[in-house]
Amino acid sequence: MAKTYDCLFKLLLIGDSGVGKTSILFRFSEDAFNISFISTIGIDFKIRTIDLDGKKVKLQIWDTAGQERFRTITTAYYRGSMGIMLVYDVTNEKSFENIKNWIRNIEENASADVEKMILGNKCDLDSKRQVSKERGEQLAIEYQIKFVETSAKDSLNVEYAFFTLARDIKAKMEKKQEASNPTRGSGAHQLRANEQQRRPTSWLSRCSLL
Amino acid sequence: MSEPEVNTNEEKKGTSDFVEDGKNKMVIKCKYCLSKILEKKTAVYVEQEKELPLMFQGIDRKQGEIKKEMLNEYYHVDNMYIFENIGFTHQVDNYKYLTCADCEAGPVGYYDLDSKHSYIALSRIEHS
Repeated sequence: MAKTYDCLFKLLLIGDSGVGKTSILFRFSEDAFNISFISTIGIDFKIRTIDLDGKKVKLQIWDTAGQERFRTITTAYYRGSMGIMLVYDVTNEKSFENIKNWIRNIEENASADVEKMILGNKCDLDSKRQVSKERGEQLAIEYQIKFVETSAKDSLNVEYAFFTLARDIKAKMEKKQEASNPTRGSGAHQLRANEQQRRPTSWLSRCSLL
Repeated sequence: MSEPEVNTNEEKKGTSDFVEDGKNKMVIKCKYCLSKILEKKTAVYVEQEKELPLMFQGIDRKQGEIKKEMLNEYYHVDNMYIFENIGFTHQVDNYKYLTCADCEAGPVGYYDLDSKHSYIALSRIEHS
């Protein structure tokens, strides 16, 4: 059968228990279907298809399935992952402080070039907030990772976060391919590689298949 | 004598509204939230007797009891990345059940861990 997509990215959601990772992945987990057969077994992962600047991108998104309670995630879980959403709860100081521990865990276990993004979830609960947006931004600057506050409950910025992470993975992949295959590109391609300024990545280069 | 034949014809006619060249003629969506599950002509129509747990188990059932129904019309998908949007449950026996990726209604079908093939029940989805 003809290939029905251009790219496939494996993404993980990581962070302390209770920060809302499951709600980010599983939008209506508290809804009417909660008494269904599905909710008793639980969902392992999802496949979502997005249109990323004209390319059909498949995202395979995994939750940590309770492993985070052990405060560590094994190498096996990270295998093949290309993007990680680091999630904390803006109403829970401890979950924010633990982001640093999660980053260390990723550095020790995941592939070195995995793309990361920090999400400050539950930003709809302003009266209970313990972590300001500025502190989240500061942490992100410190680690040079993108950051956004989300509300899974109100579907605020969740889609944006997945698009941003996917776009960054795609850009990194295309850059890597250009670097490893400098002779295969067109003339314009090579010329651009010699330029110092960053320009939007050419769609001439295709992202690789897993 | 003639009645069963009429039924058979009606059934075939019903299927042909959805199936063309052995594949799904229309886009397949979730019955409840219309989230897109499969693009047109990406899955193969198969007839097979296979039980699926009911979407709504009801509150009157006994502890641990799982109500099922026998279904015999499915769409076969041989690669999970053909799906537009879909959820996979944790493993039960040798299967993962398939759900809507948005509202999580399901099972809309199952994934066989041996063959790595997926099957979507026609009666659990919407054609559009």
